[in-house]
Amino acid sequence: MFEWNDEQRAIRDAVRRFVEEEIKPRVDELEHGDTPPYELIRKLYTTFGLDQIARDGFKRTLERKQSGEAPTPRKPGDSQAAVTLITIIELCHYCPGIVTALGVSTGLAAGTIMKRGTAAQMERWGLDLLTLDKIGAWAITEPNSGSDALGGMRASAKRDGDEYIINGNKTFITNGPYADTIVLFAKLDDGSDTDQRTRKVLTFVLDKGMDGLEQSKPFKKMGLHSSPTGELFLSDVRVGRDRLLGETEEETGGGGRESAKENFVTERAGVAAMSLGVIEECLALSIEYAKDRLLWGKPIGDFQLIQLKLAKMEIARLNVENLVFRHIEMATAGKSLTLAEASAMKLYSAQAATEVAMEAVQLFGGNGYMSDFRVEQLARDAKVFQIYAGTDEIQVTHIARDLLNR
Amino acid sequence: MAMNVVVCVKQIPDPAAPASLDPVTHTLERSGKLILDDSDAYGVEMALQLAPTDAGNEVTLVSMAPNGETSGLRTALAMGATKAILISDPALAGSDALSTAKVLAAAIKRVEPDLVLAATESTDGYTGTLPVQVAELLGLPSVTFAKSVSVDGASVKVERQTEAGYDEVTSPLPVVVTVTAGVVEPRYPSFKGIMAAKSKPVDVLSIADLGIDAGQVGAAGARQEITDVSEAESRSSGEIVVDEGDGAARIVSFLEQIKVV
Repeated sequence: MFEWNDEQRAIRDAVRRFVEEEIKPRVDELEHGDTPPYELIRKLYTTFGLDQIARDGFKRTLERKQSGEAPTPRKPGDSQAAVTLITIIELCHYCPGIVTALGVSTGLAAGTIMKRGTAAQMERWGLDLLTLDKIGAWAITEPNSGSDALGGMRASAKRDGDEYIINGNKTFITNGPYADTIVLFAKLDDGSDTDQRTRKVLTFVLDKGMDGLEQSKPFKKMGLHSSPTGELFLSDVRVGRDRLLGETEEETGGGGRESAKENFVTERAGVAAMSLGVIEECLALSIEYAKDRLLWGKPIGDFQLIQLKLAKMEIARLNVENLVFRHIEMATAGKSLTLAEASAMKLYSAQAATEVAMEAVQLFGGNGYMSDFRVEQLARDAKVFQIYAGTDEIQVTHIARDLLNR
Repeated sequence: MAMNVVVCVKQIPDPAAPASLDPVTHTLERSGKLILDDSDAYGVEMALQLAPTDAGNEVTLVSMAPNGETSGLRTALAMGATKAILISDPALAGSDALSTAKVLAAAIKRVEPDLVLAATESTDGYTGTLPVQVAELLGLPSVTFAKSVSVDGASVKVERQTEAGYDEVTSPLPVVVTVTAGVVEPRYPSFKGIMAAKSKPVDVLSIADLGIDAGQVGAAGARQEITDVSEAESRSSGEIVVDEGDGAARIVSFLEQIKVV
């Protein structure tokens, strides 16, 4: 594939219209006014019938789970990857934070429950999250363990009869301040002297307002203001087995560790699409500016140093677009990216988006440093692509480890 | 009772893309990709509101376009229209409004609609004459410039926009009604709608299928000819007033001069 087909273009145009009409006029309040993005995301869902698609999908998954059927392998040509990625790309032209808030709630929180939960847990939490009736958070990172999230995790779940008592702190939690449902990872404390690093990682589902659970106010961040991020404090939060995902401590299918890792590929492909949205927008704004802005009596686009910036941006756009198209092609053929491929895609795209956005700021000069010209917001937003969903440095290790272990 | 509504829709070159005129015929170049004329989205939306297709009603799109182009039709089908009839025939090149009306009328006749909706005018041609010509050829009454349409049994009630306000008009069905832009908010197509649109029926017809003689339509049958095209006079630049503390007074004086205040 080298371009969107007619159907994909129709979806892109529809989402683009929504973004222009509904999101663009509200960017300022979303980015600077502490307005959470949830009502807009819900509107996006109802407008395009995504809530109904989620309900239909949920029903199928639940029926399969109840009948004990194995998940049907994806049929070639059956992929929704393009639809999802197009939506991400278009939203990122204006508001990458919205994608993060949406992705964490439906992708990570709901996704984990739907993959690992029992039928009862899927019914109790999954559907509301998939339709966005409720907002979800996915809590793994802690103040002293980001990249070393699984090994260095301190949050503990201590057995107490049939229940667990959870203690710990989680930080940098997307949707943390507002989440109704929280998927939380904690290390099992079974009273033995098992080394902290190798203890089992259990996954729990918590609800807002539970005794001992405190959700902080949103952090003040460098960018991505439309995605509320916060801390969670757990102090003797008592939960029954019904909140232990899968209702088992056994690490069938890899347990909490594998559950956390299996999101890597989807999440990393998503960041590549986000990067593409930012790059497309920065390039379009830069081209327009290079034609309109006059210096020494001519458009700055006539100067070769500006042309070099535009050329490099176009190279980045082409490369990231090719990576996104490749991922869609593979998904459509029923194939998944390897960990090395997904990590390489994320690493390159995140760096490209940050570089393009910063160069756009430079191309705009003093105006680029002003909010009205929008590239400064995209530059601040893009920087997080190199940090979240695995830092650049972690991507390097994942690529290398995957290659060396073959 | 289920309703059968036809909406006349035009597929036009994307207004956002650079347009060009044929150097010989002076008509708009239409060989590339065409999109649904924005002004027709209101007619489609009105039809879907008056005759919801999920309640057993039918909304049929009727359009004429070169090269079997269906992109614009798919947009309206994605919004929820049931099916489309597209008349595409090389003999139609150079058609004027009346030739187009003859072709559309012949296609509409096959559907036997209760109601025919159209925009007041297209965004590329702006003749604004086609809908009433279609009505005349079909022998139907026409109500133009509707800002509100409601169907009541066998008749339609229309609020017809006028310079002074609006007229309330009642007409028996079937009738041709033109709707003004902005009367309804065209819906977004749902993703499911977009995916379903590609398998909705689009009946592509030639003029022979409609029993129309090639001499009656296209350049051969046109009674209207574009004899010349000239550059529009470039807009003269406005007056720039430097505010030297008297800016407000100068604005008021200008407004008084043009009798606005």
